[in-house]
This record gives sequence, C-alpha cells and structure tokens, in this order.
Amino acid sequence: MKFRSKMIDVGCLNHFTRVVNTIAKLNKTCVLRLTPDNLYFVLSGKVSNGGVSMWCELLQVNFFDEYQIEGVSPDANEICLELAPENISRALKTAQNAKSVKIKLTKKHCPCLTLAADLPSLSSVSRVVTHDIPVDVIPRRMWHDFKEPSMPDFDVSIYLPPLKIMKNVVDRMKNLSNYLVIEANLSGEMNLKIETDLVSVTTHFKDLGNPPWGDDASQSRSRDMEAMAHTRVDIRKLQQFLAGQQVNPSKAMCNIVHKRIVHLILLHEDVSLQYFIPAVA
Amino acid sequence: MKCAIEGSNVKAFGKAVHALSRIGEDLWLDPLEKGLALRAVNSAHSAYACFLFSPLFFQLYSLHPGTQSPGTPIKCKLAMKSVLPLFRCLATIERNVDRCEISISTEESRVICQFYCRHGITKTHNLSYQESEALQAVFPTNLCPNVLKAQAKLLGDIVRHFPASQEEITLAVSPVRVILKNYYEEESDRAKVMYTEMSLHPDEFDYFQVGVDSHITFCLKELRGLLSFAESHSLPVRVHFGSSGKPVSFSLDDMPLTATVVLATLDEDASAPPSQTAPSQIGPVHRCVGAPSVPTSPRGTLECGGGEKEPEEENLHVAPQGGPVPGEERVLSSQASPVFSPALYLRKLLELPKPPPAAIVTAPGAARSSHTQHGGRGGVCLAPPHGTSPDACTDYADRAHGDRACLCHVQDGRQLYASHPSYCQGSRAPVWCPVRAEPRCQSVGVTQPGMCQRH
Repeated sequence: MKFRSKMIDVGCLNHFTRVVNTIAKLNKTCVLRLTPDNLYFVLSGKVSNGGVSMWCELLQVNFFDEYQIEGVSPDANEICLELAPENISRALKTAQNAKSVKIKLTKKHCPCLTLAADLPSLSSVSRVVTHDIPVDVIPRRMWHDFKEPSMPDFDVSIYLPPLKIMKNVVDRMKNLSNYLVIEANLSGEMNLKIETDLVSVTTHFKDLGNPPWGDDASQSRSRDMEAMAHTRVDIRKLQQFLAGQQVNPSKAMCNIVHKRIVHLILLHEDVSLQYFIPAVA
Repeated sequence: MKCAIEGSNVKAFGKAVHALSRIGEDLWLDPLEKGLALRAVNSAHSAYACFLFSPLFFQLYSLHPGTQSPGTPIKCKLAMKSVLPLFRCLATIERNVDRCEISISTEESRVICQFYCRHGITKTHNLSYQESEALQAVFPTNLCPNVLKAQAKLLGDIVRHFPASQEEITLAVSPVRVILKNYYEEESDRAKVMYTEMSLHPDEFDYFQVGVDSHITFCLKELRGLLSFAESHSLPVRVHFGSSGKPVSFSLDDMPLTATVVLATLDEDASAPPSQTAPSQIGPVHRCVGAPSVPTSPRGTLECGGGEKEPEEENLHVAPQGGPVPGEERVLSSQASPVFSPALYLRKLLELPKPPPAAIVTAPGAARSSHTQHGGRGGVCLAPPHGTSPDACTDYADRAHGDRACLCHVQDGRQLYASHPSYCQGSRAPVWCPVRAEPRCQSVGVTQPGMCQRH
C-alpha cells in the first residue's frame, strides 16, 4: 500500500483546510477512503454517533498536483484509513502559507499519515514541518460499511435557507428543547419547530424552491403540494452540522423522509457533503 | 523600598507578572541596587524565572525611601494568587492606569500597590508578604557550549506549530540543522498521539553556536510566558544550553529590563522520570543570606570588609575539589546579566579544578573515545577532529570562526584563549560575551574588557 501526494497551490490548500475543518467539527473520528480519483471522508451510522452518517467526496484532481496511490491489491485499488480529522486540521492550520504540502502514508511507530509542509523562511533553506498523524488501516472485509450511501426514497426535497440564518435559529432553539422538527413541502415552505411544556416556537421559511429531481423521483407521485413531510431529530446533531460549515455552498438542499430521516446535501464546486440525521421517536 | 512605574511600563510590568505566574505559585520581590528583581520558581525546582527591572525602568526607584533606616531592604515573597489579579487585564491597565506605585512597608508588613487611574481614581491594594531570603538560581550561562539567538517572532512562529497543550518539547541541534519536536513520555499514549517535528536551518538564527551536538527536552508550557513577553516587545531571545540533563536558559534584555528563564532538561541517561530528578535540577537554588546586591562593581565587593565578604564567597563557591560533580553546576550564576565582572570571572577560572575528562567533552559516547585518542598533553578536545594540540587541530571548518575570537584547548585545568584570532591556532566556536552581546575572547591576564583587543 502506498500513497503519496503533493499540494502546491495556496488556494487549493486553503480550500482543503476548510473542508477538513468542517469534517473535524462534525466528528471525532472518521474514515478516509483514498481511491485513484477521489478522497472520501466517511462516517458510517452507528449507535455511538447517534446514528448520523456522513459522506464527503472530494475530487483529487482539484486539490493535488501530484497524487499516486497503490491500493491494497490491483483489483481493489483503494486505501481505507481510520483517523481523527482534528489532527489533520491541526497539522494544516499552521501550514497555510506553505510553499508545498506533501501527504503520504508512512509507517513510523504505527501506520501514519505524514504531512510535510515546506514553509518559507528567512534563510535560503526552507523550514520543514512534519506532522505524523497516527491512523488505523481498515481491512478489506470491513469496507462494505463505508460504501456510498444510496439516496433514500424521500418524500420532500427542498433547498435550504441561507445556512447562517438557519444556524442562528437552531442555536437559539437549542436552549429551549432537545428535539427539533423539520418539516417541508413541495411549495418551497419549510418550518423548524420546537415544542416544550411551556412554549412552542416555529420558524417559517418561504419561497425556498424545490430541486427538480426528475420524473423518476418520488416527487412525480402525486403528492399534495401543501402537505408537509416532517421528521423529529436531535437538535444537537443539526446544530453541530450547521456550526461546522465554513463556506457557503453553491447548492444546499434537504431531503426528508417522513418520520424517518433527514438527508442534508451540500454541494461546492469540487466537494460534496452529505449528512444523514435519523429521526428520534 | 518604593518605586513608581509610569505609563506603558505598567503594562510591561504586568506582562512580566503574567510570565512569572506561569512558572510558580509565589513571587519573590528582591529590591537590589541594580534594580527590582521579580523571581519565581516552580515547586519541583525545575523552572526558574527572573525579571530584573533596572532603576531606569521606574520613574522613581528608591531602596530606602524617606524615613526608613538604611539597612538591607526587605526581601519578600508574595502569593502569585494575590498579585496576578492586580495585573490580570492588561488591556484595561493600558487604557486606564497612568501610574503605579509599589512600596514595601515593614511597619505594616505589607506590600502596597497603588494604581492611579483615569478620572482621578486611585486603587490601593495591600498585599501581605512573607519575609524570605532572596531566590537565586545558580547557572553559568557563559560556560554553555551551545548558544542560539533568535528574534522573538521566529520562536513564536516555531512554537505555534505545537498545540497549546503541549507539555514538553525536544530541541536537537547540530551544526547543520536545528530540530524541534514534541515529546511524549508515557508509552501507552504513543500510538495515538500526533508527532510534530520542525526543522530549521541555522541561518535563521541571529547567532548560532553549537559546541556540542545535543538534544534537550524541557517544558514548553513554562516558557510560553517569556516568549509572549518577548514577542510583545519584539526582543531577541538568547538560548544557552549544553547536553541533555543540563539546564537551559532563555534570556532577553531590553535596556531597562532583563528577563531570564532557566529550565531543567530531561536527563536522557537517567532512568528516572524527567524534570523532577536531581540530576536535571537547576542546581542549588541558592539563597543569598543577607547578601547585599549582587556585585555590580566586583572589585569593590571583593575588597570589602570581612562581614560582607563571606556571603560573596559563598556566591562564588565553585565545585567541590573532589567528586565527580561537573564543575559547571556550582559556579556563580551570571543570570545572563549584562553586567560583566571580569575580575570575578578570572577568579572563577583560576579556582576551577582540573575538570575530569567527561566534564567538558560533551558529545556523549563519542567524546570518550576521542579523548583517549589524544593521549598526553592534558589537552581536552571538544569534539573530533581536534588533535592533541592546537597545531594538530584540523577543524577549521567551524563556520563561526573568522574574525571572531575563538577559544582553544584546556590545559592543566585552565582554559587558554587567544587574545586575538590571529594568535589562535585552533578553531572553536567563540564564547558569548554578555557585555556586548557579541562574541568575545578572553586571555589570561586581561582584567577588563578595555584591555581586550577584541573590544
């Protein structure tokens, strides 16, 4: 198994850092899948995470100037590593003005992802900062856990309001209740509701628009445009998701499966992030 | 003692208190002739810091104000918990405080700290103190084989790569590279932690002298206070150290003030856990019993009457004549002080016992073998490829040599130096002169810098 890559462009480096920071805010540990064309940050839904799962896909070509990978075997040309994204985030934090950043898989005291940044310095010889991030290699037999999630058969799909506004609303609501109901309909209306013994608060969003998924999508089934599909979720999961977002995505949408799951999709130019929050009773 | 600090110096004073609070729980106040010394030491005696404010720093500085009878000014120690809150919010101090007066009142056994603020507000704080002997670490920076000088910004940039919670850090130097890496002790954590290593070229340092390749591990947390002080005042920091196990000293000086932090380093050879064990202690934290101010005019002090002489001699006490204790640990501390006392230094040199071979040859392992190659002459080399005599020495590649002084071999327990590079037949990195903050040379017989041909 070999992996070597190099990033030279400062813009790409900044963008990559922002993506990793977002991932780091969402999870303590996650799985990094490396394939010849893409990088995936995957979190599989487990009870320990409260059932949330995440899938973040990056197109390698948009970030790295050099990228070489030799997977586990020729027919499975992939590497799966479990690591703490917080470590990568910390390593990248101070390398923002680096001339180049090399990321490679090494074996030191344990398998590591080594990040070596070449920093500009006062002398002719540049400074080199090396970070060794310990990783766990995931054996092939467990790879099925980390496959791309299939799009659920959703009832309503709607574009999200500006994430900043949504974050402010959810932050305030978090103080009042532990559970939040997200509901939306096909007329571009979305409500965020909380209800406690003393108070119930609802925030209404209008004119959001519904993404056209095409004829085979569930929306083609006759469905009352005004009927709301709703799901009750743990507010902290939603808040964590919104708090981590650092860049405004080009497209942000939400698919709701009535009383089952909320599927949030954020699309940037070269990164896509999907986040699944299951319903709570 | 009474002193008054004006304007922006109050903030600098506050920042010094912050830096000291990182080290220990108590603050030692030591009013001296040469200024007010604030010192702190940690409970394990593995970290010591001293900030010395010269009288120029103060608007008013008086050891015996008004009616107080002349005599030794009181030396005391205060709880850091009571001093730090006074200077906690530096931004507020900068905005509001015009003047700060500190006085020690023996009648009331209190230190009185008064802040004269805007709008005519005066805040008076009475802090009770504990009378105590002065605190002074014994550490000979001028005998350290390795010296680095760097701008505060460089050091700040370096430590920024390490997480704020990083406890200990290892500094490894060789003539071609300086490496800093984080250090974790417990084996159990090793698999999970992220290792960071930073490698720099010696050119980045303002001054770089490596007499012996070494790597030292010390506590970064305790140093951060001094580094942030240096960064806020944009001052260069000097680092003096030797091989692992010997203390490392970080010092800076700006005209009105000098600051020093001395940290113990992990002794790689000792099997005992780090920092707290005896071998890596700073050395006896020496209490000057009733000593007057540390000698500013050395000749004067040396000549003074019997009563005072004893404590001074105690100060100058050097390694016991017998025993394997390396001479350096017991020699008079210079505290990286800008005051140079050549006579004092000379006395020290003359009193130095003939060092056991292992003492000065500091590259562990390799040194012992290189020494045995030298045979006769009693000369001790600092590292191969020195020969048995300066003539045989083939190491001229020392980048630090050139128009700077150098020091040559030790003979008969005394170090022979050339008084001028052209007399020098060997090559070794120069010694750091604390007076001019530049390399200097010494020669036997030169009693003051003026006579030295390199000044």
